[in-house]
Amino acid sequence: MFVDATILFQIAGIGIITALIHTVLKQVGKEDIAQFVSLVGFIIVLVIVIQHLADLFQQIKSVFLLQGF
Amino acid sequence: MMKFIGALLFITTSSWIGFDLSKQLSRRTIQIRQLIQSIQLLETEMSYSQLTLQHTFQIISKKTDPPISLFYKKLAEDMEGIVTDFITVWDEAITYLQQSSDLKQRELEVLKQFGRNLGQHTFTEQQKHIVLTIHHLQHELKEANERRQQYEKMTKSLGVLIGILIVLLLI
Repeated sequence: MFVDATILFQIAGIGIITALIHTVLKQVGKEDIAQFVSLVGFIIVLVIVIQHLADLFQQIKSVFLLQGF
Repeated sequence: MMKFIGALLFITTSSWIGFDLSKQLSRRTIQIRQLIQSIQLLETEMSYSQLTLQHTFQIISKKTDPPISLFYKKLAEDMEGIVTDFITVWDEAITYLQQSSDLKQRELEVLKQFGRNLGQHTFTEQQKHIVLTIHHLQHELKEANERRQQYEKMTKSLGVLIGILIVLLLI
């Protein structure tokens, strides 16, 4: 089964960039904003992933015949 | 291909904004320094040549760099003919300076106060006001320098990083 790998790279990229922004902000002494940026990065990734997670759960349900379709 | 060009444009723009912001920080310190120099020039011109204010402003505008020189040039131009209210002329020139330079409200406020006292007193008192203004400006310069050291690198890297982040989100 072929899975589109773009999303993996996208999420990895977002992770790296968010970490970099976090470090830069922390160096300047803006810890609160740095934390906030990390949180926002996490939420963005979550929003991207959530559709796929829903698909996954649907698959599991159908595999174990919990719903029948 | 179009996607690639768009991404490149996005990163370029946001990096450019970041670099411009960091330039703005360094330009501000330079401009405050120039402002202090110009007020020192004003003091020497006042004590030695004793010309009218308009001529003094003309001379200073020739000796400084833009945008400070433009400020004095505008002052000299506005004082052509009969001037009834010097304070309005001064305030207008300050508004012009605000638009054409990176100076912040605090320096401009100091300068505004300085204009209120210009030409109202004897020379010794005027000199005191000049010393006071320079002192205030030096304080602002110190503060601006600290800000610059703190944020110059940050704005540069943040510009680039936020550009890349947005591109990643839009892919």
